[in-house]
Amino acid sequence: MNDLRIPIGLFFAIIGAILIVVSFVAPGPHADLLTSANVNLYSGISMLVFGSVMLWLARRAS
Amino acid sequence: MPQEGTEIGDCVYCHRFLCGRLRGLKLTAIDYVLLSLYFVFVLGIGWLVKRRVSTSSEFLTSGRSVPVWITSLAFIAANLGAQEVIGMCASGAKYGILTSHFYWIGAIPAMLFVGIFMMPFYYGSKARSVPEYLKLRFDEKTRGLNAIMFAVMTIFSSGISMYALGLMFQLALGWSFTSSVLLSAAIVLVYTLLGGLTSAIYNEVLQFFLIVLGFAPLAFLAAHRAGGWSGIVGHIASNKAHLWSNLGSPAANPMGVEAFSLIVGLGFTLSFGYWCTNFLVVQRAMAANSMSAARRTPLVAAFPKMFMPFVVILPGIAALALANMHLYDLPLKAGGTDVDYNMVLTTLMSKFYPAGMLGVGLTALMASFMSGMAGNISAFNTVWTYDIYQSYIRKGAPDKHYLWMGRAATVVGVGLSILTAYVAAAFNNIMDILQLVFGIVNAPLFATFVLGMFWKRATGNGAFAGLLTGCVSGTLMLGLTVAEGKGGWFANLYEFRSSMAQNFWIAMLAFSSCFLVTIAVSLMSRPKAVSELHNLVYGVTDIPKEESVPWYKRPAPLAVIVAVVVIILNIIFW
Repeated sequence: MNDLRIPIGLFFAIIGAILIVVSFVAPGPHADLLTSANVNLYSGISMLVFGSVMLWLARRAS
Repeated sequence: MPQEGTEIGDCVYCHRFLCGRLRGLKLTAIDYVLLSLYFVFVLGIGWLVKRRVSTSSEFLTSGRSVPVWITSLAFIAANLGAQEVIGMCASGAKYGILTSHFYWIGAIPAMLFVGIFMMPFYYGSKARSVPEYLKLRFDEKTRGLNAIMFAVMTIFSSGISMYALGLMFQLALGWSFTSSVLLSAAIVLVYTLLGGLTSAIYNEVLQFFLIVLGFAPLAFLAAHRAGGWSGIVGHIASNKAHLWSNLGSPAANPMGVEAFSLIVGLGFTLSFGYWCTNFLVVQRAMAANSMSAARRTPLVAAFPKMFMPFVVILPGIAALALANMHLYDLPLKAGGTDVDYNMVLTTLMSKFYPAGMLGVGLTALMASFMSGMAGNISAFNTVWTYDIYQSYIRKGAPDKHYLWMGRAATVVGVGLSILTAYVAAAFNNIMDILQLVFGIVNAPLFATFVLGMFWKRATGNGAFAGLLTGCVSGTLMLGLTVAEGKGGWFANLYEFRSSMAQNFWIAMLAFSSCFLVTIAVSLMSRPKAVSELHNLVYGVTDIPKEESVPWYKRPAPLAVIVAVVVIILNIIFW
């Protein structure tokens, strides 16, 4: 393996995508939680963005 | 404490603690999918770097080939074990913002020092480990003492951390202690065996990002719910909301310490003893692909390190505020009324994370545990193979033999850690005592290294005598003083307000006695010839010239930026 950014980017892009899907399948609000925010959606988007940036950096370098 | 085979279903711990609130922390299928995905990736990274490993130095030291952004993140991730993550959140709830002292004074200054002043000797000496540097600079016996103490300590701390993880998953999720310990240990074993130090370091980077991205939303959500920083400050005791305002006397702050012992005991002796001499972290910098990268490793690491309190400590402080606002109950110890601070992190997660993100949070917890354990194991196998086996048991064997031994030491190291985890579960008090004693071992080390690196006259006899005196005097002081009912096995000459204060003062004594005895004995013994000290001591080492490289790749400007930001952070939370 030449570039660690590829597996890291892939990992977070996949996790982010899964969280985004979950946020639509089971949107809440969750009565037993202390927040009304759509936690899965926002965390999922930030992980997807982070993963994509990592993959883009790796692609640019190669 | 849980015994082997004790299941949650036996209801031994099933007081209101588990049968009540915590039942809420139930994982769903999606959480298990996320956790398994993580396992696939860490094992995959190990498999991908496998073909890089054909010699013992590639397995144990990465063959000095790793770029700086990777070594620097591994530098902090190796230290960011499960105990650290759980413990920092717990201390946040217990001591408030004062916990940040462990980062802003208890880590950053030492990280800057090791990068600028010490790395030229570690990296330039071509030593393969920290004990080996001691052999080159001093003599065989000093290396032996350091190597053996270090090997025992790494196994011990990886076992304790495994115990913490098993206990946490047992209490929070109802998993069996044995299966969580064995499963996580098996995964660490496989990926470390496959790719050696490179695999451990690469995975530490993945784990670092997972810890940050897994816990940062919790910090944000909890702090937001508590009304931001001003809302938090309004709902916690004022001596938990300031870093320095209440350090005039031990009675005025929840840590029970005063500014002098905090700065000198924690900020100088303990912190420099750990960050500047502990092979677990220094090994990451020594794996860097150039001298310049090795020196920048701790400096680049200092940037994320100084902001880690906002990820790992802030949730604990916010939890305290939320509890005072009656929105959240601090978890209690089974059957008692004492707060179980170690459970703050997981109970808070169950209050803010829905299924999905909850899986990511628990995976992050698992990741923190694995990064800490792999760090310990990969440092242990190097010290065992090079500093103990190759030096005392079998010299001059072909490299293939040492590669085999490195792998065998990895297996044995993991096995001994599992054993330690069970001993910790069965004999909790013995472990408490050992933890205190091992805390002392780190304190005098910085005296040995700083004299070795900056004073040509320091000798092997001096270093050995100093190190021994430092450890013995520290242990004696622990046996003669009491804090929170601990220590004082010989007599009770003084009672400290907190274990932390006792710890800081013991560190100061251990450091000073090591420093003075090293100087005294050195002056009485014959020094090494200057020609033998090339690249080992200041004054006979070529410090690399950095004028031609851009400022952001030079150690000094990086260190200045970190120092300025840390000072600003201290002023903001004064």
